[in-house]
Amino acid sequence: MIRWTSRVKFLFLLPAVLWVLTFTIFPLGYSIYLSFHNVERQVVVSGREQVPVLDAAGNPVLRPDGKPRTRTEVQRELQTTFTWNQFANYARAFRDEQVWNAVRVTGTFVLVGVTTQILLGLALAWLFNRNIVARGFLRSIMILPIFATPIAIGYLFFTIFYEVGGPLSWTGVPWLSNPNWALTSVIIVDIWQWTPFCFLVFLAALQGIPDEMLESARLDTSSEWDLWRYVILPMLLPVIAIVLLLRLAEALKLFDIVATLTKGGPGIATQSYTYYAFNVGFKLNDFGYASAMAFLLLIVVMVIVTLFFRRLRQSYE
Amino acid sequence: MRIGKTLLCGAAAVALGMSGALAGEYVDWLDDGRVVLKLGPNYDNATIETTREELGGLFGPDEKPFEGATITVLTLDSGPKGGISGPITAFRPVWEELSGGKLDIALVPITDLYAKMMLDLRQGTGLYDSIIVGAFFYGDLIAGNYIVPIDDYMASGDFPQWTYDSMPPSLKNLHTWKGVGYGVLNDADGQVLYYRRDALTNPEHQAAFKAEYGYDLPVPPATWQQLLDISRYFAGKNWDANDPDPDHGTVLHLKVGEQGHYHFQSLSAPFAITPGDKVDQFHNVYWFDPTNMKPLINSPGHVAALEFLQELHKTGPAAQVGWSLGEAWDYFLRGKSVFVFSWGDVGSLCQDTSRSKIQGNCAAAILPSSDKYWNHETQAWVETDSPQKVGNTTGGSWHGVISAFSQNPEATYSFLSLMAIKPVSIWNANNGWTGVDPGFYYQFLEPQGEATLDDYVKAGWNADDVKDYLQAYYENFTAPTMLTYLRIEGAPEYWDIMDKNLSAAMAGQKTAQQALDDTAKTWEEITERLGRDKILQQYQDAIGYQP
Amino acid sequence: MSEEAPRQDLVRRRSLADAWWSLVAIAVAMLFFFPIYWAVSTSLRRPADTFTVSGVGIPWVHFTPTLDNWLLEMSQPESFRAFTNSTVISLSAVTIALLLGLPAAYALARFKFFRVPNKDITVWFLSQRVLPPVATAVPFFIAFSTLELLDTRLALIVCTATFILPFVVVIVRQTFFDLPIELEEAALVDGASYLSAFLRVAVPLAMPAIAAAALIMFAFSWNEYLFAVILTIKGAATMPVHIAGGADTRGVQFWFVAVRSLIAMIPPVLLALLAQRYIVRGLTLGAVKG
Repeated sequence: MIRWTSRVKFLFLLPAVLWVLTFTIFPLGYSIYLSFHNVERQVVVSGREQVPVLDAAGNPVLRPDGKPRTRTEVQRELQTTFTWNQFANYARAFRDEQVWNAVRVTGTFVLVGVTTQILLGLALAWLFNRNIVARGFLRSIMILPIFATPIAIGYLFFTIFYEVGGPLSWTGVPWLSNPNWALTSVIIVDIWQWTPFCFLVFLAALQGIPDEMLESARLDTSSEWDLWRYVILPMLLPVIAIVLLLRLAEALKLFDIVATLTKGGPGIATQSYTYYAFNVGFKLNDFGYASAMAFLLLIVVMVIVTLFFRRLRQSYE
Repeated sequence: MRIGKTLLCGAAAVALGMSGALAGEYVDWLDDGRVVLKLGPNYDNATIETTREELGGLFGPDEKPFEGATITVLTLDSGPKGGISGPITAFRPVWEELSGGKLDIALVPITDLYAKMMLDLRQGTGLYDSIIVGAFFYGDLIAGNYIVPIDDYMASGDFPQWTYDSMPPSLKNLHTWKGVGYGVLNDADGQVLYYRRDALTNPEHQAAFKAEYGYDLPVPPATWQQLLDISRYFAGKNWDANDPDPDHGTVLHLKVGEQGHYHFQSLSAPFAITPGDKVDQFHNVYWFDPTNMKPLINSPGHVAALEFLQELHKTGPAAQVGWSLGEAWDYFLRGKSVFVFSWGDVGSLCQDTSRSKIQGNCAAAILPSSDKYWNHETQAWVETDSPQKVGNTTGGSWHGVISAFSQNPEATYSFLSLMAIKPVSIWNANNGWTGVDPGFYYQFLEPQGEATLDDYVKAGWNADDVKDYLQAYYENFTAPTMLTYLRIEGAPEYWDIMDKNLSAAMAGQKTAQQALDDTAKTWEEITERLGRDKILQQYQDAIGYQP
Repeated sequence: MSEEAPRQDLVRRRSLADAWWSLVAIAVAMLFFFPIYWAVSTSLRRPADTFTVSGVGIPWVHFTPTLDNWLLEMSQPESFRAFTNSTVISLSAVTIALLLGLPAAYALARFKFFRVPNKDITVWFLSQRVLPPVATAVPFFIAFSTLELLDTRLALIVCTATFILPFVVVIVRQTFFDLPIELEEAALVDGASYLSAFLRVAVPLAMPAIAAAALIMFAFSWNEYLFAVILTIKGAATMPVHIAGGADTRGVQFWFVAVRSLIAMIPPVLLALLAQRYIVRGLTLGAVKG
């Protein structure tokens, strides 16, 4: 008899669960631990001595004068002390102007960027849903940005935004040298890369709407706008929600483009949260503070996910 | 990026090899004690002549003193024919043949070097035997006891022979800590002024300049204030015939997270340093008060310098707020600006005609001084008619140190010192692509040094350009007053916040005063966090302050 | 290329309006294509022309193209190594993710879990995707450096596999769920084990979804930078690390960066074009079927 509750189910599920637990929950836990501690590392070289150099067979290697060759062997010890620092790293984060600035930058980036991508995506989906020429080919072209390496895109757009003779210099816009424009430029790059994603998904959803439904709706209204407003958009809403969630999650991680396009500048005008936290950890070697900042971001992300949770659970019913 | 054919060619080496001496693939041992190092076909079969004596006691025709040893050197990556990493790659086979050992080169982007190094040292993984460091890493390296003194190796006579005496004191300071040697000679960094010889000496412009500003156009400018006048004069005029558009005055590389803050350091030095005979609480200090670690960075001298830099910025393209080195240099090389002040790379890039339109017109001079400076003791401005030259060692002066975790410190030192012997060092300076900029006495022209104009011209330099260039560097490194170098623990963090604030000031987000006040405030926080007493002690040691 | 047949209700005669809209669509596509075109154009210019080319940099019209950058870049062993590393790491990570993820997806679709409901497990997997990478970067670094696995492909493979695993679980689960259960039940009645019902019946039927998952996982692994830059030095450096390394003491070498970017784009773009109809399903984690 088939029992879909058989214990064999654990054999199917557990490897993946254990893998993810090992490689995310453990590091995350350690990260939180770090964020509450001051880490002092000291490497103590406890001794150096001359030892003979041995060849592959284990015999000492001799110098031409017959003396054995020696090399220095170093005894070293890594002493690490963790001191509980209460909430010092968190307190520092709340006092740190750069954190608040990063929140503002990331917030603007996410809100403006994602909103534009979704609206543009909808508009393009509408456009491509019409009876246009070479639709398949044009759609293929639109796919390309999604798969371009973000780190490369930063450099690439640096040459495009080049203000003295670049392809956009005729606009006279200070793309990268003005703080406000620099953030706009970062957003434009993200829009370029991710609008196609929204567009593709919306187009697919649009084409998934049954014909009969559209036909009958057309009988009720002659206005294209009303058709969208009252029939199509409501039907797309679940898809828009998914796209919104996925884009929010990715946009909050903004890092690569900033790293190669603006380096967070001018000043700290485009320093995103992830970019700042990364640099604190991996450029300035302050793991504790970086972990605290990362954990704060995690809380924000969790809140967002929870807000979408109900919606999400339904799509995975 | 080569700037011409290198010294001797393969034929000479073959001829030498036939004289009966011992010829290897990369090293020829001649009977008369001379030794020829050959870089092989990847480097145009360049050869460098040294002697057995100079190579030290360990190396010899029948010796393979480090057979079986593998050492790893961590360095910034500019490719096998780029700055700093290039010469290391070039001399690898030479050392491998001499030593019998194997050399691994770990390459990382320049912006990641400090992080990669510190991660390795702090974790004690010991991946690298040597790290090619910038001098601003020293605070961390010394505080953590991460590097090994080299004085004993130098004195032993076993290793290739070089000496700190070939360095001007300003550079020697960067390689040592409290009189103990750690760094092995390689590169010398400092910013000098590059200007367009043709534009500044053009009689028409000289006359027009005099009419407008009331004094003779000084070539080169002696003070920043004069430089600003000249910049303003040339900005917006089409004085360069390479394109039909108007050109600019001074071009700067101001991008945040790059090397923009160095501009401020070298420019502000003559405004903000009170010259004196020795380092005390008020004289020859720039960063902090050496008695209590209070930041000096927002002193009126520093603020005035930043306001000056903001003015100077207006004579260049507005876009330079987002430019790093490459873009700014490119602009000067294309003939679009009359001034740039930067590192030695510009001098050699000027000679590279695939990128430069100004070979022969690329003049250089020590950076201007200022006709007023801030006196930290009297807390007042001092106006002067005879401004004192202030030199700088701004930049990395990239050179090798030995990791405390190295299991092969002798082998490691033998490689680093091979790169430091005089003929190699001269060869590096001659060939601009190596990124090794001149600074050691013998690299300068006679009578200041031992190099000849011919060596440089053969390597592709324009004679006028290189004379200026070497003179500029000589004056810079031997200037009576020097900008002290920040070598304390956490220096990258101190600089990081300064850099961000400077960038905000240059982009017009903050006033000069505000930007430097904010910097000072954060510096105090960093000092408190790291421990004021500890940092103060390091700072005093680093600048040679005696309480 | 495109396979969606024109829908009946839209196959009216192409009106004048549609002709106009076609022009708009072409313009939009050109706009989105421009940066990629610009990369091609930059890669064909001499370094000195990087910033000075006039107009939109059309080869032969605005400048004389050269293949020097391409030839020089191709001759560097580092480029070859980075490409190989990226390929090996991405393929291995995708393989591991599939090996672990497919059974899990199957379990979530077919079996019933009581203590934690299936959908919560699914959403838990999904939430791994939203995890900010900086939060795990530090411990990952410490762990791998303790194990002396820095700069090895293994470290990146493990890391990448973890972050792409949610894709396969979430995407393929839905497909398994939609498959008629009767086929597997028939196999089980015939005496097949659960494993062979899974391998011989369910997996082949879910191939389109598996392809979608694999495609998207490959693209994400290939383009991942943050972990790659932390965990590698040179030996295991991937294409994105190699591209970012285009900056040296003399600034960014945009001409090489352009070449590297284009090389880096080729595999994921090629895959995406070949498997176009799976993209939407992949990108939305199976929530929208293309």
